[in-house]
Amino acid sequence: MFKAIINAGTLHDAIKAMSAVVDEARFEIASEGFSARAVDPANAAMVSLDISKDAFVLFEGTDGEIGVDLGRFTEIIGMADKNDEIELALDPDTHKLDISMGGFSYTLSLLDPSTLRNAPMVPALDLPAGITVSGSVFKRMIKAAEMVSDHTSFGVHDGVFFMEATGDSDQVRLDLTSSDLIAITPADVRSLYSLDYLGDISKGVGGAGEIDIHLGRDLPVVIQFELSNGDCKVKYVLAPRIESD
Amino acid sequence: MTSFKEFTEVCKTIESISSSLEMTAVVASFFRRVSESDELVGSATELSIVPRFIMGRIFPEWSALELGVGPALLYESISKASGLSVRHIKQLIRETGDVGEAAKIALERSKRSGAKSRTQTTFLDFSTMDGGTGGAESGEKSEREGVLTISDVFERMTSIANASGKGSQQTKTRHLQFLFNTSSPTESGYLARIVLEELRIGVGEGIVRNAIAEAFAEDVDAVERAYMLINDLGEVAVLASRHDLGGVTIILGRPIKMMLAQIGGFGDLTEAYAVEWKFDGTRVQIHKDGEDVRIFSRRLEDVTSSLPDIVKLVKSQITADRVILDGEVVAVGPEGKPLPFQEIMRRFRRKYDVSAMVEKIPLYLNLFDIMYLDSAPLIDLALHERRRRLDAIVESGERITVAEQVVTDDPMTAQTAYQAALDAGHEGIMLKALDSVYSPGKRGKNWLKIKPIMETLDLVVVGADWGEGRRANLIGSYLLACYDPETSEFLEIGRVGTGITDEQLAELTNLFSQYVISEDGGAIELKPAVVFEIAYEEIQRSTHYASGYALRFPRLVRVRFDKTAEDADSVERVERLAGG
Repeated sequence: MFKAIINAGTLHDAIKAMSAVVDEARFEIASEGFSARAVDPANAAMVSLDISKDAFVLFEGTDGEIGVDLGRFTEIIGMADKNDEIELALDPDTHKLDISMGGFSYTLSLLDPSTLRNAPMVPALDLPAGITVSGSVFKRMIKAAEMVSDHTSFGVHDGVFFMEATGDSDQVRLDLTSSDLIAITPADVRSLYSLDYLGDISKGVGGAGEIDIHLGRDLPVVIQFELSNGDCKVKYVLAPRIESD
Repeated sequence: MTSFKEFTEVCKTIESISSSLEMTAVVASFFRRVSESDELVGSATELSIVPRFIMGRIFPEWSALELGVGPALLYESISKASGLSVRHIKQLIRETGDVGEAAKIALERSKRSGAKSRTQTTFLDFSTMDGGTGGAESGEKSEREGVLTISDVFERMTSIANASGKGSQQTKTRHLQFLFNTSSPTESGYLARIVLEELRIGVGEGIVRNAIAEAFAEDVDAVERAYMLINDLGEVAVLASRHDLGGVTIILGRPIKMMLAQIGGFGDLTEAYAVEWKFDGTRVQIHKDGEDVRIFSRRLEDVTSSLPDIVKLVKSQITADRVILDGEVVAVGPEGKPLPFQEIMRRFRRKYDVSAMVEKIPLYLNLFDIMYLDSAPLIDLALHERRRRLDAIVESGERITVAEQVVTDDPMTAQTAYQAALDAGHEGIMLKALDSVYSPGKRGKNWLKIKPIMETLDLVVVGADWGEGRRANLIGSYLLACYDPETSEFLEIGRVGTGITDEQLAELTNLFSQYVISEDGGAIELKPAVVFEIAYEEIQRSTHYASGYALRFPRLVRVRFDKTAEDADSVERVERLAGG
């Protein structure tokens, strides 16, 4: 059983964050809230979403799962004004999701959850360095890197965070000291990531205020942020590229 | 479960063998091994996948699934997986002459690729780590060897085929990226070749058929027959492993191979034959199951959605409920003559605005055989028996008829029919043995076709394209032109890439190297110097080429070393042959 009412802006941002990495996802419904974890087809990027029941105006759910085509879902909820309330209800007979908002009522066909690929176990990563940066700085940083290359390094050296992207002809580097950052946990690290994914993730970040980034040496990066005053959490994990020459 | 690595090892072994008997034995023993450790994953067992993979095919021939990955998408995936640029990947292909070898080098994470690689890792690379010591830098990819199973590969390929709509290109690329980043360089090489359906290890249908028979101690003819009826050697292998081939029968809704004709002459009329027109249209196989009508093309592709008018005709004028029919669809122009083949193909390939095309190019259906009726296969009945049943279930009308048939042993009568067919704009006639059964997929003496022999054209080569995949370092196709003596211009008329053996390709590539004027991407401009003798099925009007004509099914007969560029056929002669 699942019935919920939520602010359209929050739901839209949460689903958009998810669809930055995957096209479809299996959502777990529990009494505590609504969550999903999915991996992209290349098994290189993972996203998890946790919306606590506190993020909802109304939340009634018993354990279950639904498979959702995120593209379709985003289109539909995109019809709502961001201050609207959206009502979601799972029709137990047809196994479709009824979505009501602003006078519209949609019926969304669901995917069979068993046909969706399982997300792999999140590897236990020891990522010694971490920074907290504003969402706008994060997005500008990715945009700058995309202008010159299709991959970029992130790292921390001597207590300074850096982004460095080198293309065929051009190069860009950004150094952020502790005064430019909201927080930093220093450790000497550096890893290389695909901008294909980072570009998508930066779109998924939306209007998030603060972004936590955790880094290691040639290890996956964890990028996480919160929406709706912490009641909705989004976490990306992106596997690195490994250089050899 | 069998690892994909084991599959690639079998491929490697086969590539080192030249005797087909030996190859068959290797393939047979592999089939047996796969069947011993087989289990159902999703909808397929590995034994149902392997016979196709080993021929470089992915999905059953009857299936509408297509991978939809061309060279460009494949190169992009290898580029993303390896971190090397697409240009670099193409260069590797050019150097090695083989997409598989290029993929292998690109993904080796070594200096062999001649550039710094930045291989994308996957979560699998980190899943065995102990609390994050180390990292993935130790990753010579051989560690990943044997991680993928044959089912994994097939499941990913199915996901790729099913990806559609916005973002589907990226989805396809990422599935491929996964496969490349989860396999060893050697596995990657074979993967790339399978993706392009260019495995080419010398294993074709014949060897697979014999290997299935050998592996499961079944009769070759029984295997062959099952294949012709259900059109998937994978499924045939599974049935053979269960010794269940005897039960194989036609499945309504799944195309069976079409019976084919060989070239004959009037001298073949030593006994009575059924004489029918050979229509200038395109072959269709129609499956009717109540209200569900499916139409398959000669290549057994499902073309139902492009032909709603034919579907309607079948629903209203075929009285049988469950039936499989063989026939030819013809498009007829305002003067009552069949329209050129290309016009029909415009209908067959149509995916959008189908209804507008239904109005514009009306189609007529000529039926000439019946293979299944009311849950009973008819293919083992004699032609005259089948014909009687066919007549009984078709309500002929303006758009749908049972093809006229004359039974005769008189060459004059056949000649008259032949002339009438040609006068009506059709291709010629068919002679069909009266007692013959319907032999799916067979080209034999039971069906003979008589049609005029087309004159060949001598055309000059003015351009070419580099091949792709295995033929990347060879010129793959040639741009042909006829000559206009008035203006001394060479007017383009089409391209030829068939009728050329690999050996010839190499010779020709070498020959043309002295005539290259310029190269742009894969396209080469050539000095007009070499003349090809070209055979073709038909000359069509075309706005695409400067001559105003195009050739249907052109093929190289030989190089006319005795001719200069100016000796090539004139545009006038082309016009005359086209009947314009």
